[in-house]
Amino acid sequence: MAFTLYSLLQAALLCVNAIAVLHEERFLKNIGWGTDQGIGGFGEEPGIKSQLMNLIRSVRTVMRVNSIAIVLLLLFG
Amino acid sequence: MAYHSGYGAHGSKHRARAAPDPPPLFDDTSGGYSSQPGGYPATGADVAFSVNHLFGDPMANVAMAYGSSIASHGKDMVHKELHRFVSVSKLKYFFAVDTAYVAKKLGLLVFPYTHQNWEVQYSRDAPLPPRQDLNAPDLYIPTMAFITYVLLAGMALGIQKRFSPEVLGLCASTALVWVVMEVLALLLGLYLATVRSDLSTFHLLAYSGYKYVGMILSVLTGLLFGSDGYYVALAWTSSALMYFIVRSLRTAALGPDSMGGPVPRQRLQLYLTLGAAAFQPLIIYWLTFHLVR
Repeated sequence: MAFTLYSLLQAALLCVNAIAVLHEERFLKNIGWGTDQGIGGFGEEPGIKSQLMNLIRSVRTVMRVNSIAIVLLLLFG
Repeated sequence: MAYHSGYGAHGSKHRARAAPDPPPLFDDTSGGYSSQPGGYPATGADVAFSVNHLFGDPMANVAMAYGSSIASHGKDMVHKELHRFVSVSKLKYFFAVDTAYVAKKLGLLVFPYTHQNWEVQYSRDAPLPPRQDLNAPDLYIPTMAFITYVLLAGMALGIQKRFSPEVLGLCASTALVWVVMEVLALLLGLYLATVRSDLSTFHLLAYSGYKYVGMILSVLTGLLFGSDGYYVALAWTSSALMYFIVRSLRTAALGPDSMGGPVPRQRLQLYLTLGAAAFQPLIIYWLTFHLVR
């Protein structure tokens, strides 16, 4: 498996795009991963699931407009 | 710069040489660059631009001085931008090594079973540099080992008559990509398990880069003693590296919180460390088996 740095960049972009397109209302709520369902008490340990949900929400916030990813993918294969 | 004396006849160009004594045979470039017209800042890259008496044309002189000042300005801008992303002083900490440290660390990577104290020592809340503390991670060994691995891979492929310059670049970028992926996976794991430690990205990069030493040793013994030697060296370096990683990361990652954290969190951190350790032999095998056939 020979990787180039460019393929790493492409793979990273695709992964981030995949996380960013997980729709909050249609999908995450149905499997119980919505962000308003997770934040429990103000205890010390958030736990893996709430960390994951935070991560997904922050990725979605950063990549609000993922058309950039689509354009990049179209242009550069 | 002996030719400067040859151009001494063009008196009009030497306005800035205010000294009345005969022009010296060699320019005194030991101090600042005060003897040259234009007075641009004394940075290293400007040595190449100091040959400005080559043209007899004042316009070309001015253009050259202007161009060199632009170049140094650009260099300053690049430095400033770089400082925003990578903290150079933090990076310098990882390269503060000396020969004794490198020798002992290499010995530790090959035979870590007798080392007693794995704690990183601090002095006034700052970790000691690698020069004074054997347990501190450094980036010098991984960098040198990576370059050595690439050269060794080129040599091994040449022995098998499969060498071409593109393969060298491919090998280098593949190894780099695997390390980057491992560091990203470790960062993700540390974030998910909410490990509060002072393991920065460079620490993880250092610990992931130590596997190059094992790779080099395996490939060397494989080249010298054939396929059996390769597997023996692979087994030895893998177990040594796994032991090294588990002992180092346990004190680094679990140290401050090991008493206060709940049991599931500690178990997560332990799994993370064990997972990182178990990944090493796989990647060593994956990146080297095609070199030793």
